[in-house]
Amino acid sequence: MKYKDYYEILGVARDASQEDIKKAYRKLARKYHPDVSKEKDAEERFKEINEAHQTLSDPEKRAAYDQLGRHRPGEEFRPPPGWEREFRFQEGNLDDFIDLSELFERFGGGARRGGRAGRGTFAMPGQDYEVTAHLTLEEVDRGAEVSLELSAPEMTPDGEIHRVPKTIRVRVPKGATDGQRLRVPGKGGPGVNGGPPGDLYLNIVLRPHPLYKASGHDLYLELPVTPWEAVLGADIEVPTLGGRVKMTVRPGSRAGQKLRLAGKGLPTQRGGHGDFYCVLQVVTPTALSEREKQLYDELARISSFNPRAHLG
Amino acid sequence: MSEPLQPLGEDAMVALEELLAASGLARAELLELVEFGALEPLVSGDHWLFLSSCILQARRAARLRDDFGLNPAGMALALAYLERIDELERRLQELECQILR
Repeated sequence: MKYKDYYEILGVARDASQEDIKKAYRKLARKYHPDVSKEKDAEERFKEINEAHQTLSDPEKRAAYDQLGRHRPGEEFRPPPGWEREFRFQEGNLDDFIDLSELFERFGGGARRGGRAGRGTFAMPGQDYEVTAHLTLEEVDRGAEVSLELSAPEMTPDGEIHRVPKTIRVRVPKGATDGQRLRVPGKGGPGVNGGPPGDLYLNIVLRPHPLYKASGHDLYLELPVTPWEAVLGADIEVPTLGGRVKMTVRPGSRAGQKLRLAGKGLPTQRGGHGDFYCVLQVVTPTALSEREKQLYDELARISSFNPRAHLG
Repeated sequence: MSEPLQPLGEDAMVALEELLAASGLARAELLELVEFGALEPLVSGDHWLFLSSCILQARRAARLRDDFGLNPAGMALALAYLERIDELERRLQELECQILR
């Protein structure tokens, strides 16, 4: 079993009072709670913080934890001989546990998240599964069937939670968007003692695309044009997800201007489509031929255009 | 090989009981969240129906309750702020799409 330093996770001394532990937990929970935090590893950190708090805030569990001795975080260790007998540890073999948090779940039987799990012989709903699907724009455009690996928490009839590797196949419908959460009712863990199964939640994360950026169902393409195309106007072919489309750049277009192709964005679940936007970028040539330079010089000489007139 | 799983569409509706079961909220808490306007039934009366996206909100509320000890008023307030942040992030994403590299 790998050691986790719960005191270090909460940032408290080993002799910290219950009050200090509670304070430290609250501060960290506010910072790393996945519903509140935008820190990258918030979910992982919060899990650790919760786990550390659940063990250290319970005097009995804390005493048992302290008896495990001090190890380096991540170091392999074994509980000292007789440890499970000294504490109120349920029957079972310590070698079955790969994770410190699972070990401490065997203590007591305190309420778990959402009150969905616990011990007893009454019917209990199964665990919810949560899994992330990383999809390309093309996949959300067409809809896709994905195979996902998850480490599913599963409860045995006597209330223990074990993690089981699982592969699931999900049909992601057309029109899923980045950050969307899809629910498949009844496809989580099996219920216990006749309880209903849990649900499966699928988080959709869009992979970055080399050409397009997505905002909801709208797509954006940065479209480079030459200064003369911007000034004189031009018909330009642009690549959309559905193929190349001709688009008219009007004379006198500016950099940053948005040109809209209605209904050429991503499909929505209701059968519509978002829009496709080209954002004009006026690109100036860096390597000029002698002739080109002459023409620019001539333009500079004869043009009366002054973009800074308003600056005085 | 079995058929792939099909997630519910965004138009799917859930009954009150299902919302309670899926979120882990108590009935009284959920009713209070509805009173605060944090969750809105699409159909009220004898048989309440909610848009399935309410499940995500209700689960969020239950997590905040469990991890911060919030009461329904606190949950409703937190949900309102989180929704505003979601909206601002959507707007930010839209604007970021328009910024030239």
